[in-house]
Amino acid sequence: MLAGALCLIWVFPIYWMVNTSFKTAPNILRTTPQFFPSPFTFENYVNVFTKPNFLSSLINSLSISIVVVGISIVFAFLATTALTKFNFKGRHLILILILAVQMIPSTALLIPLFLTFRDAGLLNSYAGLALAYIATVLPFSIWILRGFFHSIPVEIEEAARMDGAGTARILRSIYFPLLLPGLIATSVFAFITAWNDYITALVFMADSSKYTLPIWLVSFSTEDGVDYGGLIAGSVIFALPVTIFFLIVQRNLVQGISSGGVKG
Amino acid sequence: MSIEKSDDRIPDDSQVAAVVDQQQPLGGARKKARKWTTPLVLLAPAGIILSFVLVFPLIRLIFISFQDYGLTALFSGVIEWAGFGNYIAIFTDAQFLPVMWRTLWFTATLVLGCVVIGMCFAEMMVRLNRKMLVVFNFILIMAWAVPTVASTLIWRWLFDPVYGVINWMITQVGVFGDFTNHSWLGSQAGALFTIWLLKVWISVPFVALTVYAAQSQIHKEYYEAAMLDGANGWTIYRSVTLPFLRPVLYLVTILSMIWHFNTFNEIWILTQGGPDGDTTILSIWAFQKAFASNSFGQGAAIAVVTGIALLVLTAYYVRSLNRAGEQL
Repeated sequence: MLAGALCLIWVFPIYWMVNTSFKTAPNILRTTPQFFPSPFTFENYVNVFTKPNFLSSLINSLSISIVVVGISIVFAFLATTALTKFNFKGRHLILILILAVQMIPSTALLIPLFLTFRDAGLLNSYAGLALAYIATVLPFSIWILRGFFHSIPVEIEEAARMDGAGTARILRSIYFPLLLPGLIATSVFAFITAWNDYITALVFMADSSKYTLPIWLVSFSTEDGVDYGGLIAGSVIFALPVTIFFLIVQRNLVQGISSGGVKG
Repeated sequence: MSIEKSDDRIPDDSQVAAVVDQQQPLGGARKKARKWTTPLVLLAPAGIILSFVLVFPLIRLIFISFQDYGLTALFSGVIEWAGFGNYIAIFTDAQFLPVMWRTLWFTATLVLGCVVIGMCFAEMMVRLNRKMLVVFNFILIMAWAVPTVASTLIWRWLFDPVYGVINWMITQVGVFGDFTNHSWLGSQAGALFTIWLLKVWISVPFVALTVYAAQSQIHKEYYEAAMLDGANGWTIYRSVTLPFLRPVLYLVTILSMIWHFNTFNEIWILTQGGPDGDTTILSIWAFQKAFASNSFGQGAAIAVVTGIALLVLTAYYVRSLNRAGEQL
């Protein structure tokens, strides 16, 4: 019962978004809302695709996000290994710092970051934007991965070592499978962060050809009043690839967790 | 690698070296060197990026907060020191106390709402059959995946005074009276409630999925044992589930606190801090000062105050982290 009610609250805005995106312009602006689009139309989607810079924004968002995922996952994995498998002076301080930097509001960091990137000539460049995202993603990724590292009992590793397994073998057959859900979760997080960011890209990217999708959507909404049809169709297109990606990943995540549980 | 873990509990490195030195001078030195270089190399890539993009700007933020950094400074490059001028300006600003209070209150209710609802979701998902679980997962991930900019714009559309479906539905139900043309964003209470709902809608999926992931890793035997002992639903949840979830709940609570405290997109796109500054929280205020009034100095000062406020709020967690440090 409660599950159904909660379900409804979370599904309704999505349903309404898809529903609206297939309505004709006069049917969107009706005082008695239409719960099913009739007549059904693709005009909002066509509108979006024929708009200038839509495709370039899509490509920009996609390529920047992929680069951010790739780089941050490797760097986070290396750093987490150092922080969980080694005991060295300053390790504790680094962990506290990692937690502390997450408390910095992105809006606050934006002020010095804007000025620093301006000096370094990194404003209005893909590399600069990706760099900002990687730094945003890294502390949290390390934090999450650390939790997964700790869920691996030391005994498993010790047992494997006693059986004569080398470091490479242990990494491959023990750590990698058990960490996979964590690596996937971290990738998903990195992707969302880069994909969803609005404020950094807005302040950094001056050329409309270098826009990412969120800025493009907002600029579309302010062109002449809010064109809800086009805006919401654009939002659907925006949400679609990332949702499909998540669904695939989520299945792996559940699989990874359950198989890890059985084997462990 | 973790074979060296036996060294962990020895408090002082020099002591270790001294003891080892007496017994095996060469081996001890080599061991110590290896202990340092490998983690350093592993940390270097992340460390360099974080220093340039987080640590250096953070230090610069503190400098800027003591500088008269406005449009003139931006274009001439000549920067004058302002002492505590920026801080005095914001603390004596009539907006300061209301904004601070609103930020704290907004964050507290959001964290509570998101964590409690997220835990309910996770508990429900554990009980669902496979098919329903897929549906639930789908919905949650969908809600999570929708970019905040898009979901905020959808919210505006849902709560639109004239064409919004929410007003229409409330009017149809009739319990709350006629909501035709009701402007949600026109009043402080209405705007804050709309933003609160949006934030809960956006944030609960992360909490629910994280807690569920942890909960599904709890071995069935614990539940079977508890049931054999005659424990009922709530007792089992409290004595088996909650202790297992504690680390994850800590993580989720502290992250929610940080994220909600720093809310920007949702407020900015819905109200820009209005009506009449009534939904302005610290992050919005800092942004307005810096990028709308071009007073980077005052914006930086607000950001520093925000950071300190968050540090105080999360001090308990940082302390418990500190205490548990050696187990980390």
